[in-house]
Formats: sequence, structure tokens, C-alpha cells
Amino acid sequence: MADFDATTVSTETMTRTATLRYAGGAAFTRADLVFLDVDHGHSSYEVRVFVNNPAAHAGTGRTEAEGYAGRFHVFGHGGCFGDVGHCDVPPPSTDPTDLRPAHQLTPLSTYLTVTAPLNHLLAGGAALETVTMLAITLPPRLADRAPTLDFFLFSSVDLRTYHTPETPS
Amino acid sequence: MLRDMGIRREASTLGDGELRALRAAFARAYGIRDERGYGYFAGLHGLPLPNECPHNRPLFLPWHRAYLYLFERALQDLEPGADLPWWDWTTARSHREGLPAAYRRDPGRINRNPLSTGPVTLSAADLERFRDEPINQGALSDGPAPWTLRDPDNPDELPRAATIRRALDAPTFGDFTSLVEGMHNSVHGWVGGAMTLISVAAYDPIFWTHHAMIDRVWYLWQIGPRGRPPPEHLLDQALTPFPMTVRDTLSLTRLGYGYAVDVAG
Repeated sequence: MADFDATTVSTETMTRTATLRYAGGAAFTRADLVFLDVDHGHSSYEVRVFVNNPAAHAGTGRTEAEGYAGRFHVFGHGGCFGDVGHCDVPPPSTDPTDLRPAHQLTPLSTYLTVTAPLNHLLAGGAALETVTMLAITLPPRLADRAPTLDFFLFSSVDLRTYHTPETPS
Repeated sequence: MLRDMGIRREASTLGDGELRALRAAFARAYGIRDERGYGYFAGLHGLPLPNECPHNRPLFLPWHRAYLYLFERALQDLEPGADLPWWDWTTARSHREGLPAAYRRDPGRINRNPLSTGPVTLSAADLERFRDEPINQGALSDGPAPWTLRDPDNPDELPRAATIRRALDAPTFGDFTSLVEGMHNSVHGWVGGAMTLISVAAYDPIFWTHHAMIDRVWYLWQIGPRGRPPPEHLLDQALTPFPMTVRDTLSLTRLGYGYAVDVAG
């Protein structure tokens, strides 16, 4: 697992890179990069993920050769419209009689399935070393899209592999 | 008396009569200020507060199914035959042309298509707070009674059929929800304008046809080999503010509408 605070930031490429080493192990049929506590309070944004390519930037091709592993999208709220304190997210309740739903801005957890790019690395004799994340804003105006380091905040990213045996037909 | 089952059609296949009914219903809903009107329904999703939609949670699909169901019923009260269409953003046509023709602005200076933009009936105070956020510029037109704007991306960036197939292969309701919500997010970003923001997305008429597509994909998963009900602990959860629980949303027959499973040609 790589904590957000341990990621390396490049202000040149506007990316954040996590060191996440995996040289293979038990057989797997699926591999996910899992992002915990992702912020979604501001503009919508897209996150492009590259493996073993810490130099990736907004112009890098979305191809296997460039280490592109996929992307995911976060639907943003567009700011806070309540009074003071309205958008302060309280800690999760431990009271079993508290039936209220979670606060709307409770950070989300999401994942990106990276089975094919991880298999590609391992098949070539390499290990997973780094995961580079490039967040691009998705504001109302197309011309305003830009890489950002401000919106894509999360607590950690880790790799999880799964093995589902084939079911005999 | 039970009404005939409504069939939701793909947006590019609407006949003249179907499209006329849909446009008439939206235009009439725009003029109604109470809880039968467009502003009421659009506002449930974001502004004005409270923001009711459960994004990034297991209730995402059931809540939006209830939302569309009640909105469609309100449209049909105004104009019988106004069934919500779904926009299949995976087709070759969508990847070539982008937005469905029925939802684009009329060519020329005067736009008379009520499906190309929706009125945003927010209070002056809400509009001021919304506009105070620089990141929201370009979502709404100027003035005290704004309309929604769009700024679509390259059509070929829309999700592909292979992504839908991966979602339909999801082994659990949670997995399926997560994959479908991700696709849903990307289309909101693709349309641009108001659709990029939870706060005002539902004021754009394309919102409803986009969500009908999401609802249809859930239906396809439900009737497919991987489909199963949501986990037991979710079934009796209320879908606030609607008078429905998750369990109430599981059967389209019970809700009185259906989808074409396949469209050829």
C-alpha cells in the first residue's frame, strides 16, 4: 500500500507517483488498483493511470507501450453551497442507532482493473514498480480542461489480486 | 386501471409522434413551478439543497431508477406517450455524431428544441453561490433565469460496447454498480456544461436519457446470467425523498415500463 503522503509529486508533468512494488506471486485472474478516500467535492475530473512510467504527462499516449493502464472518472459536486459547516464531513458514526445516511461528501473508494497491463509487465520479465496518476479536470468548458494536483486527493492506493478458478461448463 | 406498459426507446429511433410528445411534455414541465414541474425534479439531484442523490454508494442504481420513474410519470401526466428514451452512447452513430439528434440545438439563430437545454430555476442566492465558484463557469448561461449549457468532447471518447460487456460480466451487485457508475461519470464529463456538476446536471434534458441508458444496463445485468438482487440489507432501505424502497425498484414490470433488449439495423 502507498499512502498519499508518500507519493512523489511532479509539478512539471502535474502527476503524482506512488511506489508500489509487485513482482508476481500467486496466480491471479484479476488485479485492481484500489484507491481509498477519494475526494469528490470540487470539479469533476479524470484520472489516467500509468504503470512504470513516472515521466508520463498529459501528452503521453494511452497505449500499453507507454504503460497506460486505464482511467477512471470522478463526478464532482462543484463546491459547497450550504452555510458554514455544511460541507464538513463528520467521522463515521459508531452509534448503531444512528440510521442517517453518510454525509454527501464522504470520500469515496474506487478501483481500476489493471489485469492486462500487469500481466503485460510480468510476462515481459518486469515487476510493477510505480503507479503514476495524472488527474485532468473536467470542468463545464472543454477549453478549461487541464492537469491538476488539487482535486485528486486520496488516502492510499494498493494493488489487490484475485483468483477465480474457471467453472467447468 | 393499469395502463399499457411503456416502452423506452433508444433516442435515435424515436418516431415523429414519440418525439413530439416528449418535447411537448418537457416544454410544459418547464412552465410548472410546483412539484409537478421540471424545476422540482431537477432540483432533487443537487441544488437547491438538500442534495438527495446517493452517488458513490450502493443506492446509486435504485435511487436513480426511482427518480426516473417518478419524473417519467410526471411527464406522462402532462403528455400521454412521453416515455423517456435512452441514449446508447456506445453505438457507431454516437461515436461518430455525439449527442443524439433529438437533443441538439436547432440549426439557425433561434433554438426551439426544448430537449437541447433546460431552465435552471434556482433562487438568486443559490445562483450567486454557484457562480461564485470559478470552476462552475460555463455550466449555465448568464442572467437571473439561466439555461443549461453543454460543451461536448470528441464523440469517440464516449464509452464503448466492450466496457458495457465487462460491466455485464460483473459477479456482484457492488462490482456492477461501481463499473456502471464509472461509465456514468465519464459521460457526464463528456457532455460538458451543466452535466459535469452534480449540483446542476439534472437541469439538462440529456441527463434523463443518459440515466435511462444506465438504468437499461442495470436491467440487462438483472436479466443476464450474472444478475442478482442487491444485498439483503439494502432491500428495505428508503430512497429518500421518494416513497419507495430498493425492493420497489427491482421489477420493471411492477413499475410499468420496459426496454428493448437489442436493437439491430
